[in-house]
Amino acid sequence: MKHNADTKKTNTSDAPIVTDGSGLMQNPVPPDDQTPSWSERKSRSTGLAQLTYEYFERARLEDQDLRSRADYLEREVLGFPFWPHEVVRGFAITSFFIGIILFLSAVAPPHIAAPANPSQTPAVILPDWYLYWSFGLLKLEPLNPALSILDGDKLMLDRTFGVLANLVVVGFLAILPFINTGKARRPVEEPFWAAFGVAGVVLAFTLSLLSVKNLVPLNSHLLFDLTFILPVLFGIVFFSLLKTMREGYMYELNRRYYRLRPPKPLNK
Amino acid sequence: MTPNLKEQYDYSKWLSEKELTPIEKTYLTVLIWADKRLRIVDYLESMENLYYKINMQMPRSHTEQYNLDNKFWYWYPLYALGTFSVIAYLVAAISGGLLGFYYSPATAGDPSVAYNQITYIMTDLNFGFMLRSIHRWSAQVMVAAVFLHMLRVYFVGAYKEPRELNWIIGIILISLTLMFGYTGYLLPWDQLSFWAGQIGVEMALSIPILGEWVAQLMFGGFSLGQATLQRMYILHVFVLPFAVTTVIAIHIGIVWMQGIAEPH
Repeated sequence: MKHNADTKKTNTSDAPIVTDGSGLMQNPVPPDDQTPSWSERKSRSTGLAQLTYEYFERARLEDQDLRSRADYLEREVLGFPFWPHEVVRGFAITSFFIGIILFLSAVAPPHIAAPANPSQTPAVILPDWYLYWSFGLLKLEPLNPALSILDGDKLMLDRTFGVLANLVVVGFLAILPFINTGKARRPVEEPFWAAFGVAGVVLAFTLSLLSVKNLVPLNSHLLFDLTFILPVLFGIVFFSLLKTMREGYMYELNRRYYRLRPPKPLNK
Repeated sequence: MTPNLKEQYDYSKWLSEKELTPIEKTYLTVLIWADKRLRIVDYLESMENLYYKINMQMPRSHTEQYNLDNKFWYWYPLYALGTFSVIAYLVAAISGGLLGFYYSPATAGDPSVAYNQITYIMTDLNFGFMLRSIHRWSAQVMVAAVFLHMLRVYFVGAYKEPRELNWIIGIILISLTLMFGYTGYLLPWDQLSFWAGQIGVEMALSIPILGEWVAQLMFGGFSLGQATLQRMYILHVFVLPFAVTTVIAIHIGIVWMQGIAEPH
């Protein structure tokens, strides 16, 4: 204690006053004596906490290693200053976008239908446009399999089948990153997945058409078939297109990549 | 305390001695006033530390990897779609808050109170027609922007490692946005609303085992009525705004940590 008081006295005489918020100026006992350092906390911990510390240490080491090996951290960053460039640009884009919304509101205001009447079913029942695809998925009853083992009965109601189709679509989208685990980012690098995406978009449109089938001037069976044939067709066309383009693109990409990171010479 | 120190802590004297512009003086006065009560300075400093800690963000850059520093400006509109959804969300929130002053979710009467209130907003209320139009269009634009945002993320492969989690959060957000649209669609309680609600109840009832429970929870019964409208209203103006705002904050926070997956 006495020793502490002594050092405190010498500190006040010549050491500069600390203003970093650590409280050294008022506190006779420096907080360093009480606050355990990171390694102390790590050594004291046991079980899961210790495992966490150990993992953090490794992860930080890896990060540090990546940073020290990367050349780009030292480069001159190409960018505009926040003020005025980025602020003015952001303000301009935001105003333009809100302007579009106001313009649409002024030009095409929504109207209101007749009041709700439970005893009178309207000829056309529709959700908003962005749910047409989901509404179309409710009309897939020809796809609901009739099983001979159940004497030609269906395993589930058509309505259940439609709801299930919705869940399948959304669920599939959710697990997409775990299905396509490739590193490629450009559509040309992975023609299959790009074509798959195009087919998905076309399917969303054709399902929307199917959902309003009583408004579409087409035979309803033909429309149902087209709903599934068109996406596949578009997928195949895009797949072949991208596959053709791929050669040239990959050549250019590889050339740039290897110019940036030359391959290590083989030692044998 | 020594008089010397007392003098040192006399901030008003310090302020008067310094030569400050009015802006600087006002700023310092407010800062000192707030710091005396809230320890503002310490918290500002920790936020500043957070900002300058590069290890809070991922250490790789795709732009660098593909040497594209100045070549992606023409992709900019596609990379602003997330921002556009947020802006449309804010416009919808403001216009919706104003509409909420005049709307009441009641099915009593013929036509219902809800329908009458919408009619009132559209015909009698000053600027009401435009207000409803703005709310409606900002919602439409938000849904469109969210869909296009998802397509952009898909086609540039931005959902891949390390962004799987944010993709899933995005799927949750797009579902919540669609629920926002659906609940809002039911609020005017006109023919379209009613029969869209009818489809909703039937969809809920067709779920095996849980169906009746879901229908009770979401629609307040197996046939549409006051309980349905009330629930749609509470979902639309209370539950979903909190949920969606929180999830958007998490979504954008993760984008900040991981950096934008630049085009290449």
